[in-house]
Amino acid sequence: MSKPRVAFFDFTSCEGCQLNKLNFENDLLDILELVDIVEFREAMDDRADEYDIAFIEGSISTPTCVERIHDIRRRSKILVALGSCAVSGGINAMKNLYPPEWVKETVYGEDKYLFPSIPVQPVSAIVKVDYEVRGCPMSTPEYLHIFKSLVLGRKPEIIDYAVCVECKQKENECVLDKGMFCLGPVTRAGCGAICPSNGQYCTGCRGLVSNVNENGAIEMLKLHNLSTHEAMKRMKMYCANEID
Amino acid sequence: MYSENIIKFDQMKRYFFDQDTSIKFLEYLIGKGTVIAPHKKGETSYSFKKVDDVNEVVFDYSRTIQPLKKFFLPPQETLLNFNLTDNSFSEPEVVEEKKIFFAIHSYEMQSIRRLDYSFTKGNPESNYLSKRENSCFIGISFEPDEWHFSKSVGIEIEKLEGFCLFFEPVENGHLVFEVNETGREMLSEFGAGVLVDTPLDFEITDKHFKAKIKYHYNRLPQVFEHVYHSKVWDKVAEKCVGCGTCNLLCATCYCFDVRDEVDLNMINGKRERFWDSCMLNSFAEVAGGDDFRDKLSFRTRHRLFRKFKYITEESGELQCVGCGRCSRFCPAQINIVDIINDLIVDYTEQQEKQVI
Repeated sequence: MSKPRVAFFDFTSCEGCQLNKLNFENDLLDILELVDIVEFREAMDDRADEYDIAFIEGSISTPTCVERIHDIRRRSKILVALGSCAVSGGINAMKNLYPPEWVKETVYGEDKYLFPSIPVQPVSAIVKVDYEVRGCPMSTPEYLHIFKSLVLGRKPEIIDYAVCVECKQKENECVLDKGMFCLGPVTRAGCGAICPSNGQYCTGCRGLVSNVNENGAIEMLKLHNLSTHEAMKRMKMYCANEID
Repeated sequence: MYSENIIKFDQMKRYFFDQDTSIKFLEYLIGKGTVIAPHKKGETSYSFKKVDDVNEVVFDYSRTIQPLKKFFLPPQETLLNFNLTDNSFSEPEVVEEKKIFFAIHSYEMQSIRRLDYSFTKGNPESNYLSKRENSCFIGISFEPDEWHFSKSVGIEIEKLEGFCLFFEPVENGHLVFEVNETGREMLSEFGAGVLVDTPLDFEITDKHFKAKIKYHYNRLPQVFEHVYHSKVWDKVAEKCVGCGTCNLLCATCYCFDVRDEVDLNMINGKRERFWDSCMLNSFAEVAGGDDFRDKLSFRTRHRLFRKFKYITEESGELQCVGCGRCSRFCPAQINIVDIINDLIVDYTEQQEKQVI
């Protein structure tokens, strides 16, 4: 059986998720045993026509992005969104909270007409996405789980519960109890609660759990001395497209 | 009810341990097996942990974050190691060791008894039972905080069942009661401590619980007969964010999820189980994408019914032990005692309507 042909693409993003993969180091050679990487701009020059698995990083924010992602989708059997930007729009989507003309003016000044831009959207708003790896940057264990599952031809298990679950499994002292802010109770796990486990709070980089109780979340943050305005602001950092 | 307990205590042989003697006793225990005791964790929390330094053991604590179940049903546990090439598997070896649990509160002890029931009924669960073997428990009294309500579910602070010894704090130290034969052997081998043979000159008292359920615990199953359609569930669901903390830290919740993970060599792998929670999105999802408890109100109801009705009908015991973890650690500050008291109000109103 020939190895799956894998490609990586970047859209509007910091390319940190791709870089994260090059940081696998010890595992990198094992990964290369399993697949043929046929396109990966950040690491090599080669190009290919078709892909068994295309990993997409970054959000869709220009008309060119839309054309490119359609093109990639047409040539890919499986398409996986990598990281917050690709999955939900990520922090790029914060621009959607402001008038588009003002945003263009602020970023590009008088050259704004040279840079056509559209509201930031997740990849799934344009084409069918088969699997998602969340996080900013994407979670390495989750990425490897999906990667291995696809190579084995089995369906990956995608976590849809709160970061609290992983914090409790690790018996972390609750960040909220320390008087800090935390979005863990409504943010999707899969990161191993890495931030709360290391003295940080959860900023919600992996997006909200599905069927989230938005009002409950705001009331919860109010109980911990955050105003509604502040609570909304914090939640919108990574979830501008998910919250009304 | 308490007088009975005092008689029980009065009849037991007891020793006075000052703090030094207690520390020496801990050192003695370390020579006997793995000693597990409460330790400070973070700024304001506690955790059960293997004792490495006897001076770090905390005698006076409210409650640990994770309950004692973590030693018998770990948060993450490998069930099998498998090999995809030759289709074989092996079970990981369980290290046989004597475990001595020190400074355990009565509700915690009772939670282990509840888990024993759940894991031995029907098909005995070997993973739990193999870890559960060779354990003995030394109890200690505690001062209830605003979340403890174990007395409301029928578990007194000085409930001795399951313990081999029991520590009761007194001035400058502890009175150590010989609860059973194992405890007697330990104390006689240890040899130190001052035998107290005067009648109890203090009262084993009903310490004041701040959190109370309005009804006697034997009426609670009756209440749960009538509150399935209560509005209380919707009220709780408005506040609940479904994070699962209440179940994960519950002393008697035992649900788990099983996942297989293959190594990068695509040959070896392991089957692991993790603590799961019926408050979570995916818990009641079935093939085809249906979810038979798709609302937080249904899930909260299920959580409480599991504690006060479903298993209780079979075992005859409430599954809630009143440790107060679900309330204490809930980020939305939902309090189980408030829920039950609201349900009681709902129930009484229903009863009154029926009379009219």
